[in-house]
Amino acid sequence: MTDPSAPRYPGYDVLAKRHTPSWNAITRKVIDHRLAVPREPRFFTPSEWTTADAVCQRIIPQPADRPPVPLAALLDAKLLANVGDGFREGDMPYMREAWRQGLAAIDAESAAQQGRVFAALDTAEQDALLGMMQRGELSGPYWNGMGAQNFFAQRILTDIPGLYYSHPTAWSEMGFGGPASPRGYMRMALGRRDPWEAAEAKPGSEARALRDNRHVV
Amino acid sequence: MQTVARYRPSPALPPIHHSPPARAAARPAVRATPAAMPVPGDIATVRAARRLNRAAGMIATSVLTDSAMEHYRGEFHNRAMWTPIVTAALSLAVSVHGHTDRRTGAHRGRDLVYAAAGLTGLIGTGFHLYNITKKPGGLCWQNLFYAAPIGAPAALSLSGLMGFLSERVRANRPGSSPIVCGFSAGRAVAALTSASLLGTVSEAGLLHFRGAYHNPFMVLPVSLPLVAAALLANAATGKSRVRRRLTRWWLRATALMGFGGVAFHAYGVSRSMGGWRNWRQNAFNGPPLPAPPSFSGLALAGLAALGLLEDHPDD
Amino acid sequence: MSSDPFEAPRASHGRAPDVFATGGWVPMRAYREQDEVDFAIVGTGAGGGTLAALLAEQGFSVVAFDAGPYFRPLEDFASDEAEQNKLYWTDKRVTDGANPIRMGGKNSGKAVGGSTVHYAMVSLRFRPEWFTSRSTLGYGADWPIPWQEMWHWYGEAEQQIGIAGPITYPWGPKRPRYPYRAHELNSAARLLARGCEAIGIGWTETPLATLSAPHGKSSPCMYRGFCRFGCSTNAKRSALTVWIPRALAAGAEVRDLAMVGRIETGPDGRASGVHYQREDAWRFQRARNVVVAGYAVETPRLLLNSANQRYPDGLANSSGLVGKNLMTQSNQAVWGRMEEEVRWNKGPPSLAITEHWNYDDNKDFFGGYCWMGQGPLPIEWAAVQTGSRGLWGEALRDAMLHYNHMIGVKMVGEMLPDEANRVTLSNDLDQYGLRVARITYTWGENDKALIQHALVQMGRSIEAIGATDMFRQEDDTNHLGGTARMGADPARSVVNADCRSWDIPNLWVCDGSVFPTVGGVNPSLTIQTIAMRTASRIGILARRGEL
Repeated sequence: MTDPSAPRYPGYDVLAKRHTPSWNAITRKVIDHRLAVPREPRFFTPSEWTTADAVCQRIIPQPADRPPVPLAALLDAKLLANVGDGFREGDMPYMREAWRQGLAAIDAESAAQQGRVFAALDTAEQDALLGMMQRGELSGPYWNGMGAQNFFAQRILTDIPGLYYSHPTAWSEMGFGGPASPRGYMRMALGRRDPWEAAEAKPGSEARALRDNRHVV
Repeated sequence: MQTVARYRPSPALPPIHHSPPARAAARPAVRATPAAMPVPGDIATVRAARRLNRAAGMIATSVLTDSAMEHYRGEFHNRAMWTPIVTAALSLAVSVHGHTDRRTGAHRGRDLVYAAAGLTGLIGTGFHLYNITKKPGGLCWQNLFYAAPIGAPAALSLSGLMGFLSERVRANRPGSSPIVCGFSAGRAVAALTSASLLGTVSEAGLLHFRGAYHNPFMVLPVSLPLVAAALLANAATGKSRVRRRLTRWWLRATALMGFGGVAFHAYGVSRSMGGWRNWRQNAFNGPPLPAPPSFSGLALAGLAALGLLEDHPDD
Repeated sequence: MSSDPFEAPRASHGRAPDVFATGGWVPMRAYREQDEVDFAIVGTGAGGGTLAALLAEQGFSVVAFDAGPYFRPLEDFASDEAEQNKLYWTDKRVTDGANPIRMGGKNSGKAVGGSTVHYAMVSLRFRPEWFTSRSTLGYGADWPIPWQEMWHWYGEAEQQIGIAGPITYPWGPKRPRYPYRAHELNSAARLLARGCEAIGIGWTETPLATLSAPHGKSSPCMYRGFCRFGCSTNAKRSALTVWIPRALAAGAEVRDLAMVGRIETGPDGRASGVHYQREDAWRFQRARNVVVAGYAVETPRLLLNSANQRYPDGLANSSGLVGKNLMTQSNQAVWGRMEEEVRWNKGPPSLAITEHWNYDDNKDFFGGYCWMGQGPLPIEWAAVQTGSRGLWGEALRDAMLHYNHMIGVKMVGEMLPDEANRVTLSNDLDQYGLRVARITYTWGENDKALIQHALVQMGRSIEAIGATDMFRQEDDTNHLGGTARMGADPARSVVNADCRSWDIPNLWVCDGSVFPTVGGVNPSLTIQTIAMRTASRIGILARRGEL
C-alpha cells in the first residue's frame, strides 16, 4: 500500500447489494434491525453505558471520516436480548452479570489508580489500564473472583469485536462480500473476484478499484 | 491444402443430378439469382458444402457463446482467452457467408478462417491441458471437471474441420464424383463427423458424470449421438447405394436433441437457487446453455455426408 | 402461519413446516399423549433425526422431540453470522477443568435437525483400526461393532444422505463411489492441496454433505460460504432436509420447542415415557421405548436429571460411566497471509482435506488427525485474532484488513477418553428450572503431543507455499463424544452395540455420546451410520419379539 491510511477497498459499500439477489428478505430485515439499534441504554445504567462506550472506543478505535459503528448500543442490545454463548467458565458469572460486575470493576480500578472513572481518562491511560487487564496485572477486590484477565478475554475481547464485525461498515472496510443468499459466488479460483465482490486497491490500481467498487451489485 | 481450379459456370454444364426428387421439387433449382452473376442450379456438392457451412456455423455459435461465458467467468485473466471468441466469431461469419454462397469452388478467405479455427482449437487444447496439469492434482478428476475444460477448444477445431470439409466438397467439379483429400467426399465427411461425434460425446459424458446423471435425460447426449456416430461410421464404410433412412432420422433426432439440450440446461439454471433472477451466478455455475447445439452442428454435417453419399454413389 | 419459529411451536395440529417451501406445510401425524407410542426420541439431529425416519419407515409409531425451533431455511436463515447464533444451544452451562471447552456453535445445536443444521458437512469414515483401537493400536477402548459392519452402513449412509465426494479416496480400504461428484475446490482448498504436495503428503476433495447437482427439491450448492451458519438454499444435506421429511412422510410426529426434562420409569424399572415442557407447561408422553439423542452434553444431563428412587445415580448408570469419558476433538489451526487474493469465504469452508496423519502410524503418540481448508467469516475471524493473538485496538482493525489474503489449515484431532473429563450436574438452573450441565475438561499429555505434532506439520505445509505472518491458534476444540459409551461389557459401558442401555432394556442412546473413541475425523457421518445400524437392529429385535 502506498498510503497506509488509504482505504483498502475504496468506495466499496456492502449495503449497495441490499437489493440484489445477494440479500434475501430475512437478511434485509435482520440487517435493517441492526442498523436501527437504539442509541441509548436499555440494559445498562447511564454510568455503565458511559464506561462501556469508552471501553468500546479503545477496543475498536474508529476513523473520524465516517459514521462510527455504535458499539455501545449494539452491546446494550445484545445484553438486553441476552444472546450469547450461554455458558460460563469456572468462576465467571453469566454474560449479563459479568458485564455489570466488570464495568463496575473497571471504574473502581480506574478510580483507585487515577482518581477518575474510566471514561474520564485520556486514551493512553485507558489503553494502559486495558493492557493491565489483558496481562492479568489487575487484581483489585472489585472483581469478585471473576478475574480481570478472564473478563477481558472472555467478555471484552469476545463481545465487542464480535459486534463490530457484525456491522456492514466493518464488512465494507475489510472487503468482505457480506450477505450471500441466494446468490453465492461463481469464481472459485485463486485471485478471481466475482463482479459483486469488493475490489482491492493495489498500488497503481486505486482508481480502477474505486470504479469497480462503484459497480458492486 | 488441395488446389482445385475455381469452377466457372458454363452453358455446357452436365445435367445436374437431383436426388431425391421430392426434395428437388421443394427446393427450386434457381433461387433469387442475381442477373449479373449467373449461378448454377442445385448442385449436389454445393448443397452439401452449404450444409457443412451451416454445421460449422452452428458449432461456431456454440463455441462463441460458451467460450465467451466461460472466459468471462475466468475474468479473461489471460489475453489469449479472447482468441476463441474472435476466431469463433470469424468462423461463424464465414459460415454465414458460405451458407449464402451458391457457387462452386473453394473460397480462400473462408479456408483461411476455418484453418485458423482448427488451429486455434488445437492450441487451445494445449493451453487447457497445461492449465490442468499445473494445478494441484494434475490430470485428476477434479481438474478434468472444473479446471479449463479439455474438450471445449476441440469444438472450435470441429467448426474449422466442418468448414474445411465444406470448402473441399465445394471445390469438386459438379458432376464429377466429389473427392475430399483423395477419399470419396461422402465417406470422408461421414467418417470425420462420426469421429467428431465421439469426441463431443466424451465431453458431454464427462460433464454429465460431474452432474452425477441426476436427471435421466442426461443419458441422452451420451447415447443418441453415440448411435448416430456408429450409423455414420457404417455409412462411411458401407455400401453407398442404400437409402439410409434410419441414419437420416437418427441424425435429425440428434440435431433436435442439441436444441432440446439448451432447453434442458435452461431448466437446470432455473432449478438453482434464485433461478433466472439470479442469472448472473446461475447461468455460469449451472449447466452450460450454449454447449448442446454442438451436437446439432455435427448432426447437420452427418446429414450433409448422407446427401453426398446418396447423390454420388461410389460403388 | 407463524412468522417467528421461536414464539410458538410450528409442528402441531397435524402439520409441520415444509422445509422446501417458504411458508409451506406438510401433513404430520399427531399422537395423543396418552397413546403409548413405540418410540419417544429426544433430539432430532444426526442420531435422533435419522432414527426417527428409519423407525417410522419400519412402521413404528414415533414421536421425536426437539428443544429448538423448526426452521424453514429458505425464509428463516439470514446470511449473517450474528443472527444465526439462533441455531446453537446457548442455554446456561458451566465449564471448567484445565482446558474448559468453549460451548456454542461448534459443538451444539438447538433446532429441529440438531447441529447438522449448521455443521460443516464434512462426512468422513473412521479408519477401520479405530474400531479396535485398544486391541489393535493400544489406546482408548474397542467398539463393539466390527469395522466391516460399520463400513457397510457408511456406504448406506453416504448413498441416502447424498454425499458429494472424490472418485477415489486415497486412504483406507476401497469404498463405493459417492453418489455425487466432489465440488469445485475454492482457492483455500487448492492452496491446502498445494501445501500438501509441497511437503509430500496426500490430499483429496473432502466428502461433503452438500449437493453438487440437484436432488429432489434440493438445489445444488451456491458457494455462499455461510454453511456453518445454516444453509439458506437447502443444498446442505442435514437431518432437517434429509431425515425429518422422511420421518414425517412415514408417519412420525415431530414436536419442536419441546424440552424433555426427565425420563420417567415405571414400577418395572423400565422407561415409561418422557416429561417435556412445551408452551410453558410440563407434559408427559407415554412411550414403549425412549431414545436419548441429545449429544454428548445433553444426553448425560438428561440421564442424570432423570435420577429417581430406583435409579439414584441417574438412568442407565450402573456402570457409573454416564457423563464420563467426555471427549472433544482438538481443532488447532495455523494461519498465514498470501500475496494473492484468496477470498477464502467463497464456497464451503472445508473443500479439501488431508487424512495423512490418520493413516500414518509413524508418530510417538496415540491417535490421529486430519486437517482441512478454512474460510472463517468476519466475526469468527476476529475471534481468532483476539483469542490467539490478543489483538485489539488499531492492531485488530489493521489485521482484519488482510481478510481476503488469509489462508488457514485447521485440524480435527483425536483426543483420548479419560474418566476425569466428564459431564456432571451443576447447581445452576436453566430457563426450564432444570439443573444445567457442568462440563469438565483437561487435555492429557497424549492430546498435547498430538496437537504439537499437528501444529508443526500444518505450519510446514503453508509455509512451503509462501504464507507469511503465520501464527498458531492453539486453544480450539470442536466436536464432542463419549459420555454414554457403547461396549461389550455392561460394567465398562453404558449401552451395547445396538445403542440399547444395559440397565433399562427399553432405554436407548443414539448420538455421539456412544462413541468409545472419537477418531481424528468429524463425527456426523459416524453418528448417522450408527443410527442406521441401530434402526436396522431394532427392526430385527422387534421381529424376534426382543424389544
